[in-house]
Amino acid sequence: MVNVLDIKVLRDLWSMRLQVLSIALLVAAGVAVFVMSASNYRALVGAMDAHYRNERFADIFVSMMRAPLAVSDRLRETEGIGIVEPRVAKAVRVIRGDSVLPISGRIIALPAAGQPLLNRLHLVQGRWPDPLHPEEVIINSAYAEARNVRVGDTIDVVLNGRLQAFRVVGSAMSPEFVFATRAAVPLPDDRNFVVLWAAHDAVASAFDMKGAFNDVSMTLAPNASTPHVLEEVDRLLKPYGGTGAYDRSDQPSHRFLEDELAEQETLSVVMPSVFFGIAAFLLNVVTGRMVEAQRGQIASLKALGFTNRAIALHYVKLVTAIALLGSAIGLALGRWFAIAVVGSYHAFFRFPLLDAQLEPWLLVVAVLVSLMAANLAAASAVYRIATLAPAEGIRPETPPALHRFGWLQKIGNRRIPLQYIIVARTILGRPVRTLLTTVGIAFAIPLVLFGLYWFDAIDYMIDVSFGRVERGDAFLTFTEPVSADALYELQAIPGVLKAELQRIVPVRLRAGHRTYRTSATGLDSASELKVLRDRALRPIAVPSDGIMLSRTIARQLDIGLGDNVMLEVLEGSRSARKVTVRRISDDILGNSVTMERTALNRLMREGPVANVAALRIDPDQSGPIWSRIRSMPRIEGSSVKALWLALFSETIGGMVLIGALILAGFGMLIAIAVVYNSARVALQERAWELASLRIVGLTRREVSGVIFAELAVELVVAVPAGLLIGRYLIEVIASARASESFQVPAVIDPGSYAIAALLVIGAGVASFITIRRRIDALDLVAVLKTRD
Amino acid sequence: MEVRDIRDSAAQPPAPVFVARGLTKVYGSGDARVVALKDVDLDIRQGEFIVLLGPSGSGKSTLLNILGGLDAPTSGTAIWRDHHLTGASDEELTAYRRDHVGFVFQFYNLIPSLTVEENVRLVAQIASDPMKPGEALDLVGLSERAGHFPSQLSGGEQQRVAVARAIVKRPDILLCDEPTGALDVDTGRLVLAAIAKVNAELGTTTAVITHNTAIAGMADRVLRLSGGRIVREEPNPKRIHAEDVTW
Ligand SMILES: Nc1ncnc2c1ncn2[C@@H]1O[C@H](COP(=O)(O)OP(=O)(O)OP(=O)(O)O)[C@@H](O)[C@H]1O
Ligand SMILES: [Mg+2]
Repeated sequence: MVNVLDIKVLRDLWSMRLQVLSIALLVAAGVAVFVMSASNYRALVGAMDAHYRNERFADIFVSMMRAPLAVSDRLRETEGIGIVEPRVAKAVRVIRGDSVLPISGRIIALPAAGQPLLNRLHLVQGRWPDPLHPEEVIINSAYAEARNVRVGDTIDVVLNGRLQAFRVVGSAMSPEFVFATRAAVPLPDDRNFVVLWAAHDAVASAFDMKGAFNDVSMTLAPNASTPHVLEEVDRLLKPYGGTGAYDRSDQPSHRFLEDELAEQETLSVVMPSVFFGIAAFLLNVVTGRMVEAQRGQIASLKALGFTNRAIALHYVKLVTAIALLGSAIGLALGRWFAIAVVGSYHAFFRFPLLDAQLEPWLLVVAVLVSLMAANLAAASAVYRIATLAPAEGIRPETPPALHRFGWLQKIGNRRIPLQYIIVARTILGRPVRTLLTTVGIAFAIPLVLFGLYWFDAIDYMIDVSFGRVERGDAFLTFTEPVSADALYELQAIPGVLKAELQRIVPVRLRAGHRTYRTSATGLDSASELKVLRDRALRPIAVPSDGIMLSRTIARQLDIGLGDNVMLEVLEGSRSARKVTVRRISDDILGNSVTMERTALNRLMREGPVANVAALRIDPDQSGPIWSRIRSMPRIEGSSVKALWLALFSETIGGMVLIGALILAGFGMLIAIAVVYNSARVALQERAWELASLRIVGLTRREVSGVIFAELAVELVVAVPAGLLIGRYLIEVIASARASESFQVPAVIDPGSYAIAALLVIGAGVASFITIRRRIDALDLVAVLKTRD
Repeated sequence: MEVRDIRDSAAQPPAPVFVARGLTKVYGSGDARVVALKDVDLDIRQGEFIVLLGPSGSGKSTLLNILGGLDAPTSGTAIWRDHHLTGASDEELTAYRRDHVGFVFQFYNLIPSLTVEENVRLVAQIASDPMKPGEALDLVGLSERAGHFPSQLSGGEQQRVAVARAIVKRPDILLCDEPTGALDVDTGRLVLAAIAKVNAELGTTTAVITHNTAIAGMADRVLRLSGGRIVREEPNPKRIHAEDVTW
């Protein structure tokens, strides 16, 4: 026989369908955001691990001028080193008819046997080069896609000053170049950087490196000590012009990847977890109130002789059904969005295997937490009511605190219509419930802000990095150091409004046992095209002696103002000197060491030279300007800020914003669900009272005023509180994540506050309108027949 | 409590204030169709005290609710003075209830978060010519409980507050649906006395539903309903005082 209470479960679900749906959507939003985001992050990390493992990403990397192959055997014999893969790898330039300026590139020799032992290639298209055809190359698939290069196309490469045509036979991904970056550009620019893999002989002969190598990758033996191995390798390679060995943490692609993953972790794991926690809390509040609103029914069931257990079980079934419905919707939404988000990853994270997949265990966790939050609320509400004497439950509830607050009885001021006294007494007479509901609405606001915040953060980062720090419109890199003549030459071009020279060299900082590889930028003291800033965005002058350091680097090296640090130049003279940290800058994008250009020149024991120029140009004359620049010798590459910006919003921006949009969207869904539920439950609890008011002659409008006033009071308190909570949570998350090198600032635009506030208020108004319809349709006669 | 003898006023019957013709109320349709009222004709005179009797489900509450503007008939007309209660909008019915009708129900229907005095004042605040809430409470003998909340009163006391709330606006019509249904004899008597007093002193047209034939003795006229029809009308020339009611 079907249990009558089970029939009641189904009836209740149906009769409260809008409320049930809104709670289910709350669960769905929490589950979807949490399971999807965390799964995506894990998919990303998993894809990285798989790529590194399958393609055997090396542990230790080092370049040098030139070493005979025999040296590689000495490396192999070194304790702590496993596999050693010596090779020839050189900077090249690629010439394209459709590109005004040369494109920088790197050519890497492949062993005659095919795949190298380490840093193998994952062939995406085409085939392996034939060792008998030295003109065949594989290129990185990122460039192939960005420039639409196909198998069979030729590619003109300047190797060691000589132009040579290669034929593309394939495209590939490599763990070394998940992000292919150049030193002077903080973002991977796939259109302007290419990696070429060619047969060893072709490369070695072009660079006169037969029987020698200039680059080596190694694995660490199990239990090897990295610092010790790095030291040993440096000692061995010093005579051959070694530029300092480094591990994965200093490998450019990996470092960038780690930063990006740290950012994704904030967006996909930290925030969604907090989001889900809040959603679970809200679910708890909402279901608790929903069950409490049925106190009359609970008391009647109890009076009929149902045990507390049986009644609790009844409500457990009800809320479990809602939570499961929500989880199912969440799963469906999560799967759907996961595909969209992972799709956006593909444009940025170049991993061979990256598929959207919801982690089953995350799903189980999310569903269990939802079920627990809902059931705990339901069970505790049932027990609270069921432990009352049935008679008391049947009687309409008098606000319990009413008798305690004497003054509450006196606020019956004759000028305030009594229906508002009812509101005031209910709100103040049940402070715990009022607080919980208000807190519930307040906590919905951070969920909206979490998403909106990222839009502001990205805007801020763009504004600061590209508007206030890098103030030039274009940057040129030179093939070799140039003197002030180059500057005069650039300044003479009509339409160039300003030109400044910079000296940028790779360096290694060493403080105690900690090291950090980065680049040092030498700026003229009056530099206007690059202005470093502190946290309040005030410009910081380049120190006349010593260095200015990014805060993140200072933190990683555990040094501060006034401390000394060893600065080793990893190029040319390879000189090293102790320098003092004079200033700390707060960089958002990219970390650097900055010093006065002449000081850097002195340190490098060279004249007043530079290798980078920053330009401010008249946009109307950019055509003639670029064709003049093209005719200048010694230009290695260029980048244009506008293109960077486009690149930034396409890649990082696009990816983050999809995540943020999902977060904001689901946050809004939850906010609406919570507000609607508060209003709906307020009506449910009041239906009897409101009908009584209608019977004695109060109009619909006066009676609606009761619900409206209650909601309005809750919103007036909850909205500002919610904005503050949101701001606080974002600050906490941002500062907790600030130890990572990619700093996402905790900036929230007033517009975002306004959107979040208006959304919640709008949800309140919309809920009120739907509820007003129910108030208008209250069945006065039906109410007279029951007490509930 | 002293109740004035009103047999004199019954001697020259005034014109009817309520005129109902062919009132029919049907709930549901098809198999679930229930006819609650069938073609009921009824006249009620100004100041009359009417008692409605009849078995459960005979349509008493339905009739009373239609007279009070809480419910609309499926067909037929109900007119109170110049107010057409059938076909009136919700606003018109609300205004009608607000200005002219006082209700007393079996379950009191007091607002739990308002004190006794405030429950009464709630109605006074929207009425055009109310008495002072204190006066209404005096009439039911509860002035000294004015500051208490309903949950601090007994059932009978709550019902007397409901009566005070119903009469504070000096209603033209007082409608009571089983006002003593939940009360014992003594308390019930107090409530009835209050109702009778209002009827007598304010000349309020009064209709009371009850299962208790003894109460019928207080009426000017007793209507018996059965199966949705008025099956018998009994004028009662010898009205008794509430104190003399026994059950
Ligand atoms: N909403 C409704 N839907 C269906 N039938 C209804 C509804 N309300 C009342 N009825 C039916 O209408 C008939 C008259 O109901 P009414 O409430 O007027 O009876 P009553 O005479 O007041 O009975 P009681 O003395 O038990 O209060 C009953 O048969 C009842 O079942
Ligand atoms: Mg009835």
